[in-house]
Amino acid sequence: MVLRAIVVLLCCVPTAAWAAQPLATDLKGDPVNRLAAAGARAVVLFFAASDCPISNRYIPEIERLDRAYSPDGVRFWWVYPNPTDTQGVVRSHDAQFDIQGNIALDTEQRLTHMAHATITPEVAIFVPSGDQLREVYRGRIDNRYLSLGQERPQATRHDLEDAIRAVLAGKPVPEPGGPPVGCSIVPRSLP
Amino acid sequence: MRFLRVFFFVAAACAFLAAVLAHRPIRAAESPVTWSRQIAPIVYRNCATCHHPGGGGPFSLLSYQDARRRAPQILDVTQSRYMPPWLPEPGYGDFADQRRLSNEDLALIRKWVESGTPEGNPAEAPPAPHYDATWQMGKPDLILSVERPYTLAASGTDVFRNFILPYPLAQTHYIRAMEILPAVPQIVHHANVLIDRTASFRRQHPGDWKNGVPGMELELDAGNTFDPDSHFLFWKPDTPVLVEPEGMPWRLDPGNDLILNMHLKPSGKPETMSAQIGLYFASQPATKQPMLLQLEDDRDLDIPPGVHNFVVQDQLTLPVDVDALGIYPHAHYLGKILEGWATLPDGRRKWLIRIPSWDIDRQSVYRYREPVYLPRGTVLHMRYVYDNSDDNIHNPNSPPIRVRAGNRSVDEMAHLWLQVLPVNVPPGSPDPRLLLEVAWMRRRLEKQPDDSIAGYNLASALASLGRYSEAETAYEKLLSRRPDDVRVMNGLGAAFEDAGDPEAAERVFTQALSIDPHGCDARFNLASVEVRQSHFQDAEHQLRTMLQDCPADAAAHCGLGVALAGEGDNAAAASEFQSALHMDPHNFTALYQLGEIAIASGQPQQAVSLLEDASRTRPGDVDTRERLAMALAQSGRPDDALAQLREAEHLAPDNANLHSLLSQLLAESGQLRQAIEEQTRALALQPDDADGWNNLGVLEARTGSLDAARTDFRRALQLAPGHQQARANLDRLSPH
Repeated sequence: MVLRAIVVLLCCVPTAAWAAQPLATDLKGDPVNRLAAAGARAVVLFFAASDCPISNRYIPEIERLDRAYSPDGVRFWWVYPNPTDTQGVVRSHDAQFDIQGNIALDTEQRLTHMAHATITPEVAIFVPSGDQLREVYRGRIDNRYLSLGQERPQATRHDLEDAIRAVLAGKPVPEPGGPPVGCSIVPRSLP
Repeated sequence: MRFLRVFFFVAAACAFLAAVLAHRPIRAAESPVTWSRQIAPIVYRNCATCHHPGGGGPFSLLSYQDARRRAPQILDVTQSRYMPPWLPEPGYGDFADQRRLSNEDLALIRKWVESGTPEGNPAEAPPAPHYDATWQMGKPDLILSVERPYTLAASGTDVFRNFILPYPLAQTHYIRAMEILPAVPQIVHHANVLIDRTASFRRQHPGDWKNGVPGMELELDAGNTFDPDSHFLFWKPDTPVLVEPEGMPWRLDPGNDLILNMHLKPSGKPETMSAQIGLYFASQPATKQPMLLQLEDDRDLDIPPGVHNFVVQDQLTLPVDVDALGIYPHAHYLGKILEGWATLPDGRRKWLIRIPSWDIDRQSVYRYREPVYLPRGTVLHMRYVYDNSDDNIHNPNSPPIRVRAGNRSVDEMAHLWLQVLPVNVPPGSPDPRLLLEVAWMRRRLEKQPDDSIAGYNLASALASLGRYSEAETAYEKLLSRRPDDVRVMNGLGAAFEDAGDPEAAERVFTQALSIDPHGCDARFNLASVEVRQSHFQDAEHQLRTMLQDCPADAAAHCGLGVALAGEGDNAAAASEFQSALHMDPHNFTALYQLGEIAIASGQPQQAVSLLEDASRTRPGDVDTRERLAMALAQSGRPDDALAQLREAEHLAPDNANLHSLLSQLLAESGQLRQAIEEQTRALALQPDDADGWNNLGVLEARTGSLDAARTDFRRALQLAPGHQQARANLDRLSPH
């Protein structure tokens, strides 16, 4: 099984160390070894935290984008990097918020490191490139929050959606217009 | 006599007196900064009120592990002063519930995080604060709940919604503390509680009020009595319990509604909430009557798109000495710099508040640590700066559009509320809040001459002050614009009656009743005129008709009681007064009248108890003290009677009748010399009182001053040649 996983995955991290271990686990505790199904045109990782209010406030927006772009081959993942977001916590959180998508508990923070994510909520877009996944966007979802305490009534620029459209259109992916705003991802080295 | 009043309300509220613990200086340089020694005290004092399980904050900070995990974020949000939330600029008002971290605290937090968040010796850490999962002050005396749960959508812009909670009791209560349980505190930014004295908002929304009504600000009908809003009833996550200062509870009457005006923030999932309000009753009515004053300039709020610095201002001159107790600045999303200050009569500027970077999400009521004394003649100022450009990220319109005043979140507001308590009130002067009202409404009319609410309130206040011709002019002006306005007619009629023109008053009230035959106010007022003219049967008829339309009106029961007593039916009258007392245990008229009936029916001890209650309700009422003194004297308590009269004399030193009564009581207890002094004072004030001269003569005679006594009796006879007692007394003293 492990061998097969490696063959199928082929991807992601330039070092080989990952290969022996799964990237993340799902809500049943089973390994998540592949992010992109065959034919996927892009993978979006949404870094979330069950106890971060701003992260939670973006759930409806991520669900909207998931519904809108999964038919075009965009695969969305809900990634939980914080140590306190255990299986039980995330399961109950996802039930509360009625989250239907793919869940990855980033128990070793491999996805966090792969995407260079630091904040929840933050998103990363990868595109398949040969055997690898190449990161083409990382940062904020939109411009509703400029910093903690600096909030627009609603977003006027949708950075993530613009980036997805650019990927699908084969155009250069625009940079996010500002930093992600929310809660720091808690390093795994802490208890 | 009633008069009517409309009050335009924006938001009331009361910040609770957060105990600000003394800041203990900590020497940072000597030893490593640890959680246990330095950081836990800072966090517990400034953060834990929200950041505890079940609190308004998204996560708890009650343990070292909690804080360590969040350390990078704690560093970030404290250094940027995003947390703890605190808008006012230091040095511009000294506030009781200040939450701003000192620079020293910030340095300690930075050092702690940068040195790897050491815990230190856990034994040195203070115990974590304890927060009750439900009511912080124990079970309330009364819990009100919203009629129906409300579900806030998962996403979208913020929601402003008003939930109506009718006050269900049939008695008046005074509220010393209030706690709001929003059920889901994380989604509630802040809440205001408004008192709707007349359930007017519920009546405006008969079909949908149970679901809550959208809107940021409301217009409420304040009812028939001069009863200005007095308290800030404001809730935010870190101040769940509002405790009023001693002597300043607020009042709820039967028929009142509480309106919970909430600013809600979507959380990402649908949130169903059933808010509750817990009320704690005071045992005594209020002894201090504060008032909320408003500066505003909504009329000038017409902000072109793209303008960065749009200024609006207002000012108001204080007609009486006040202590400012609290302040509540309010604007919507375009507000940038909000300033309030007072120019004292000597020209000095005293800052009341300055918010250099306004954020509606962090709005609050601020209470002064010590009352701010503002003498008569002080000018209150408000100056707000608005930014309607793209650079203002709070701007709800992209691209910016022209914005005017209004109560939707895309509209704007420019309001500054100040809670003031009149001080240095000379004895016997009218309610100083009426003078504040007149000044405030005149200012509103200067800004907006067609402001009918201000015109109405001004006329009502003038009438209450006894300035009837000014009041009549103000009412007539309103009627010229709105000839069918029943409410204005009631005010005008009341002014006529108080000015001594009952025929004109009856005419106006009758006209009002022809427009609205079920109008309880007009009928009550008409009945009052009839009572004053001793037309008791007519009054009884009017009041019985009125009670069919308004059965729960304590004043109507009182009026009916007065009419029945006038017809000689004390038993029926007492029953009506009892009905009024059942609805309002502190109803002054009912207590007073029942006391009178008890005196008349030879039950002075019962009268004492009733009149003592009446006097507690209106401590400054001289007449009540006088009647109480009489009941005390009849109950064999002359010393207590004397004490009441002395107190009354202190309140009304120029009341001749009081000096006469004092003289009689003193004479009965054998204190003749003092009795003569008091009677002499009475006659100095009222020299035409033949009885008084006769009484003085008797006292002089009893002390042996026969010549003086003869002079007094002759004086009485000069004033009233047929005065038989004076004649007999003089004859007795005349040498045969």
